[in-house]
Amino acid sequence: MARGTQVDKIDVNILRALQRDARHNFADIAKSCSVSTDTISKRFRKMKKAGIIRGTTILVNPKSFGYDCVASIGVDVRLPRLNEVVELIQTIPGIVFFTTSIGREDIFCIAVLKNVGTLSQIKELIKGHPLVRNVTTTIWVDEILLCPENFEFNHLKEE
Amino acid sequence: MDEIDLQIIEKLATDARISFRKIAEELKISPDTVINRYQKLQETGVIRGSTVVINPKKVGYHCMTAFLIDASSLHILGNEANPVDSSLILGKLISMPNIILATKTVGDHDLLAIGVARDFQHLMLMTHKIARIPGVKDIQVSFWVEKSSLCPKYFIV
Repeated sequence: MARGTQVDKIDVNILRALQRDARHNFADIAKSCSVSTDTISKRFRKMKKAGIIRGTTILVNPKSFGYDCVASIGVDVRLPRLNEVVELIQTIPGIVFFTTSIGREDIFCIAVLKNVGTLSQIKELIKGHPLVRNVTTTIWVDEILLCPENFEFNHLKEE
Repeated sequence: MDEIDLQIIEKLATDARISFRKIAEELKISPDTVINRYQKLQETGVIRGSTVVINPKKVGYHCMTAFLIDASSLHILGNEANPVDSSLILGKLISMPNIILATKTVGDHDLLAIGVARDFQHLMLMTHKIARIPGVKDIQVSFWVEKSSLCPKYFIV
């Protein structure tokens, strides 16, 4: 299996710094790597161009926007007509992430919603589709811990 | 939060490295206002942080995985002598390499974690490692190889 695009130690340092804080000063990263600030901006642009970096973003608290219910939804579909259900899911507001998956569920979604009532409505809506066999909902409790810096890059240096 | 706050958030969500001066110019307000608003949004917890969005495949991770975890009842309820709960499992999960999100849940399972794995062998190793966390009774794995849609503002998945 392909190991992915080549990145070196400097690239990894840039990714690490930006994972913790996307606004991290390039001059500081440059200093810690003993290279010029220009090198860091060049590397950053290069990784963006190569598609390693999709972009940078802030993480906001859904609660601050009145979204009190974060949940994952698993959908069990009568295969092989998965796409018809995917088309339905694409149209549902509040579903912020979905993917077809392998495992007990055929589709895995994450929804950010106003309240549990909305979750119930979505569940009924998906369940109403004739090709859907079952829907399971799991509500995420307050403490959602994000840790993007847990990404390991060690394997990239093996080559 | 007002319209200006929302516009600042929107701009930073699309590009977290945008300069405050550029935001100020675009919104026709002073850079100081942007800085003050940004600091306030951070203090009040509206903005929890910022990060770079990596394409996992490009750095050698070919399976994204959701681990749906059941805790044994003793560890949820605990007891007087040994007051343990699922928070311990949660803490262990989030300190594991390549687990990028973990949360307690209500519903079908007790905890959920999302992780990145290099290949199936790596996925197996990760699953076994989670299984060895004290209090973990059962794990259900759901994984995907192709991402379809995402809203990075709330989570990086």
